[in-house]
Parts: sequence; structure tokens; C-alpha cells
Amino acid sequence: MSPAITHGAERLFDHGLDVVDGTLCLPADAKAAEVRAHIGNHALRFPLWLDGQSSLRDHLNASSHAPASSRFGPYGDNVLGMNWRLPSGELLRLGERVVKTTTGYDWLRFALHSGTRFGRAEDLVLRLRPACDFNGMARLDGSAQALQSCAQSLLHSPWLCWWDSVDWLHASGQCWLRVQWHGRATEAALFEEQLRHLAKIHGCSIALEGLPEAQLDGLPDLVLKTTPERVMALATQMAPHCRRTLAMLHHGLLHLDLGGNEACAMQAHEWAQSLAASLHELGGDWHSRWLPARAPDITESKWIQTLEAALHEA
Amino acid sequence: MNAADLARQLRALLPRGRVLTSAPQLAGYASDGLGFKAWLPDAVVIPADAQELAQFMRGAVALNLPVIMRGAGTSLSGGPVAAQGGVVVHTSGLRAIRHLEANGLWCEVECGVSLQELEQALLPHGLFYPPDPSSGPVCTLGGNVASNAGGAHCFRYGVTSNYVLGVEALMLDGSLHRFGGPAGGRGPWREDWKRFMIGSEGTLAAFTRFWLRLLPLPEKIWTFRATFADLRATEAAIHALVAHPSAPAAIELLDPRAVAMVESSQMACGLPQGSFMLLVEIDGPAALVDGRVAEVAQLLRDAGSGDVQFSDEAAIRQRLWKARKAAGGLLGQLSPSYVVQDAVIPKRALAEVLQLVYDEADAAGIATVNIFHAGDGNLHPNFLFDARQPDQLEKVERISKRLMQRVVEVGGTLSGEHGIGNDKAAYMPMVFGIVGTRLQLAVAAAFNPAHQLNPLKVFEQRRFCA
Repeated sequence: MSPAITHGAERLFDHGLDVVDGTLCLPADAKAAEVRAHIGNHALRFPLWLDGQSSLRDHLNASSHAPASSRFGPYGDNVLGMNWRLPSGELLRLGERVVKTTTGYDWLRFALHSGTRFGRAEDLVLRLRPACDFNGMARLDGSAQALQSCAQSLLHSPWLCWWDSVDWLHASGQCWLRVQWHGRATEAALFEEQLRHLAKIHGCSIALEGLPEAQLDGLPDLVLKTTPERVMALATQMAPHCRRTLAMLHHGLLHLDLGGNEACAMQAHEWAQSLAASLHELGGDWHSRWLPARAPDITESKWIQTLEAALHEA
Repeated sequence: MNAADLARQLRALLPRGRVLTSAPQLAGYASDGLGFKAWLPDAVVIPADAQELAQFMRGAVALNLPVIMRGAGTSLSGGPVAAQGGVVVHTSGLRAIRHLEANGLWCEVECGVSLQELEQALLPHGLFYPPDPSSGPVCTLGGNVASNAGGAHCFRYGVTSNYVLGVEALMLDGSLHRFGGPAGGRGPWREDWKRFMIGSEGTLAAFTRFWLRLLPLPEKIWTFRATFADLRATEAAIHALVAHPSAPAAIELLDPRAVAMVESSQMACGLPQGSFMLLVEIDGPAALVDGRVAEVAQLLRDAGSGDVQFSDEAAIRQRLWKARKAAGGLLGQLSPSYVVQDAVIPKRALAEVLQLVYDEADAAGIATVNIFHAGDGNLHPNFLFDARQPDQLEKVERISKRLMQRVVEVGGTLSGEHGIGNDKAAYMPMVFGIVGTRLQLAVAAAFNPAHQLNPLKVFEQRRFCA
């Protein structure tokens, strides 16, 4: 019988780019430009940006998803690991640098969007994706009914896994569908043909363009999570009260722009309260970077206290 | 408690036919897919539905025995077994597909639904649930969620945790909680507790139902099979495929020892002896993937393969998959016992770690074959041995330990999709220091403080004290 394995020191992630595995470890305060600088000329990208001027930490505090989550999943599927500062001041790692793990309980995804309640992310390990030379965007306009039926076709298309985002936007009294993709310029015509075809079937007009980068919508003030089949109705309900709404159709996520400053906290609070019950019923939720998280009930408090005891003991 | 008392108590909780206590009945529940290790449970219960399961759970604390949830028992890590004795709860009665919301791309299923049942139900709607562990024809979604199962196609599509929107969990105090739901958020909770539930290997709660995210079926699939003379060339092909914009759905590897095993069996399919075999699949809209076929084939040739075959025809694709599918089944036929490891490593270390497997196994005189998910860096070294020979098991454990040490040193992890179970629990201190372990154990302490649910799994410290 071999002797029991003893605990090693806490492992931490080192900063740096792994070109083969497509991973990048860097401070959580890094912004899009720094990520790009680290990646350099390697044909890689991190697709989940909401705002070019905000740090990754701000992104994680603002929402669990970005438009490109339609193709790549939420931040939780694209942040592989973190160096995490505990309330006690100690640093340890959560997650891994590899793309899949089922080693122990998933503290990484649990803590990722928990703000600073259980500690603070110092560094993040990002999962990068192959980069190509073309960003395409389609804007589809039409009657609400035409856009809704077109949205259903988009969601059930085998192309869904190849479009970076399928979004329904409202701003300035207008609503439209936006499809973005990232691929090779040589294949752009295929994407465009498919989108033109869908637009025609559903009686929508379409405008296509190539962009230097994916269109960014900014950090949301209020995020509502519902089901994909309900998100368009919810967006339509909220749109008259918002500067801009962005519904990510594949994941049923709604980003509301209420002004982009702390002054909108009151309004966000009011809507969160009025919608909470209907969202919760479906296993959805609300989140605002301007508001504290809701208070836990007695059952949840007990669980949280057990975790906190371990964190502070550390 | 003696056996008669236990039987009486269990029959007070569940109808008579749903309680098994005779040795021949219990024998079928003594092992999981890791067949060489067996622990006879004290009893097995088979609740007919969620109500009966809740009824059992409410009385389970008073039994003062470990409670082990079990789906089809195909786990490969010593997960759903009575390592500390106790009652195994077989979830085969909870097998309803309760709702399919095709418009919203989600479904609601009970924990005992098999992956194959779900696949068949989704097919007419043009939808699929991507995780595809090789036990798919029989394994249950409960087991998949508990072990965060993956499969051949998770290089692009991801593992179970990428598709679980919600988990309904029954605690040992009989309380029922829903973490998330069809919308996939936190629900009424402040925190996202389902994140701890997925991959928790039956140590936190009994799962009753799930809400799962679905995807539209790919329109076209192309399968490629390429053989390579050496590992370096194979590795170069893997690295090129991983970075390729075609984003393959699967990149699977068979090493020469696995190829030799297949070729010397009735499942032989003409692979060159001594070769490494890559199986690659690209899928998506026909217009897109058809245009990428020549490019992927050329990539494989450029990396050094002189033998690249590919097709989009179902029958031929099935033939190309034959060696990969056959290899798994042959292991059990060729060896009295085998153990399959599940380490994930950074792909740059692939050749190095594979060589370590060969060196260690050869030095110990233990046969090894490697069949794994190369795109993810998810190694599955299989060690073939005879568990009746005590020295052989010791050798395999020594090799496994050395392998895991190196895996952690190169920046990898102990398990990618099988879970830790009791097979790898001893290695957890390699990954978690004292503080990390304390955090990990705090999760169990929050939901199952006495470790009555599935003790001795994931962490060795998790022992149930009656």
C-alpha cells in the first residue's frame, strides 16, 4: 500500500498566452486592447466583449452573457480559471487551464458572477478561439410579426452554431434583428446568401456589411434572464422604457440600457422587483451592476454561512 | 442494524417490490463500469417516481446508513457504489420526458431518462442534446449530470455543464429545491447553486429532474479517418485541427496499441499496424462544411498522413468510426480487468505524457491502450491487468499515481468527464492544497454535512459517521 498523498502548496496560474491550447492568463482588470496585445499576431480571439473600454472584471460584474455567447456560451464557459483572492487575503486558484474538468465542486462558475461576496478575481484564464479575417453583420427589418417568425427560423437553423450572435434590438422606436458572424472572407458569401434567403422567406429587408470588429453594445444596466421563447415578448414590453434593449435570442437574455449611470439604479430596482416573480418561476433571474444582490432566505443563508466560514477560516 | 431490520424499515418507506435485499439481487449493484472493484450494498431501493424518492429520502436520515444514488451504473470512476455500505437508490423509475419546448430549445426530463431515449425524442423536432459519452445507449441523464459527462463531440459542443439549465434536487432532510429552470438562471436564489450540483457525483443531493438546453441538428456531417506513422506527426495534425476555422466537432485518437488490438480482433478494419489513427468530424450547414472537406483532408495529409479517408455517407461514416467504437468494447473482452484514466492536459504536453504512459506501463509489464479525445487533451489511458493478481493492481495504481503527478505538473487535471469517484479521490491533494480542500469540503458541508450521501467519493475525508 503506497503512502497517502499529502497536500502540495496551492497552485496558481501564471500570466501568459498558450498558443497551442488557446488560453490566456492575465489580470482581471485587463481590457479588450490588452487582450489583443497579448494575443499579438496569433490567429486567436476572445469573442465575449460588450464594451471595448471596460475591464473583464466589469464585464463579469455586468452580465453572465455577451452577444457571442450565442455561439460560445456564457462567460462561465469561456473563463477557464481564476486566481482568486479570499477574504482572508490568501490567493488560490479556481478552475483549470484546460478546456474541460470535473475535478471537485465547480467553485469557478459559482464564484464568477458572485461579485466580491466570496472573494475577488485577480487573474483570469480566458479560452481563446481561432480568429479569421472577416466580421459580418446583417440587419433585418420588417414588421414585428415578420421579425418574430424570422427569429424562430434563425434559432432553428443549422447555421445557429456558426453565427456569433442572433439578437433582437430596440432603440429609438425601432426594432430589428441583428446577426453577427466571424469567419473567413472567402466564406462570407455563403453566410450572406443564407441570411438573404431567410429574410426573403419571412418578408424582411436585409442590410449586410463587413465590419473591422464585432459591434459592441456597452455594459447593460439591468439584465433579465428568461427563456428563449419568451425573451422577445419581454423585450417588447420593456423597450418603451429603455434607451436601448438587446435580446440575445439563443439564451433568453435581455440587456437593458437605462442610461449607463448610477442614476438608473432606482428604475432598475423597480423593474427587477416587478418582474422577479415571473422570472424566478422559470428559473430565470435579474441582475444589475448598480444594485446589490437580493438578500438570501433562511435556507440559503445557512448554505452561504457554511461557505463563508470556510473562506474566512482560510 | 441487521439485514432483517433494514429490510423492514425500507419496506415501510417503499412498496415491497421496490426494495431489494437478497445477495443475488444486490450483486448487480456492487460495481460500476470499473468492474474490478466491488462493494455489496446493504440494500437497493427502486422508487417508482419522484414522490416515492422523496418519501424514501425523508426516512433515509433515520436509517443511519450511507445513501448512494445510481443511474445505469456505467460510471468509470467508482462513483455510484456502496464504498461504505448502505442503500443504493436506483433511479430507473424516474424516466419521463416531461416537456419539450422546441421553440425555446429546451426540455425538462427526469433523472432516469437515458441519453438514447432523449435523442430519439428530439430527433423528430430536428434537435439534439450534444453531450455524447460512449455509454450513451444506456447511461442516464442523472449520471451524466452527476459526473458532468462529456463525449467524443464535446471538443466543439462542450460537456454536460454547458447544457444544464436547471436541476431539481432532493436533500436528505426531504426538502426539494429547484436550482435554475428552463431559463437557466439562478431562480429565486442569490447564488447560482446549480453550479455546485453539476458534477457533484451524488454527494450533495438526489437529483430528480433537469432542464436541458438543446441545439438544432447539424445539416451535414463529414467524418475523416487518417493514420500517422508517429506521434509527433499526429500531434501536429491535432494542433492544426484545433486552430482550424472549421472547428471540428470531434478529434479522436487511437494509439498503435489500440489499433493493434482492433486489427487482431474480428472488428479489424484494415488500419496499418503501428499507426496512430485520428478520427475527425466536421459538421454544420451543408453549404459551409462541404466547402471545407478538401481543406481538412489536405491538413491531415500535410501533417504526414498518407492514408486519409472521408465521407458524408452514413454507412461509410459508420465504417470509419468502427475502430474507435470497437476499441472500447474489446477492452473488456481481452483482459480480466481494466482501468481507464481520464486526465486532461494542455495539448502541447500530449506526446510527452503519452510517452510517460508507455514507459511506465512497459516497465511494469502492464498492457496499455490509449483511445481518447485528443482535441480536448482528454487522455484515456486504459491499463489492462488481472485484478486477481494483487501485484498487478498495485502496479496499475503506481502507474496511475505517477501519471496523475505528471498531469498536474504540466498544468492538467485529474478528470475531464468521468468524475473522481473513489478511484481518484486519493489524488485530490495533488490538485488542491489545504485551503483549496477546505473550500471544496465546505460545499459538501453545506448540503450533506454528515456525508451520508455517497461517502468516500471525490474526497477521501468524506466518511459517513453514523
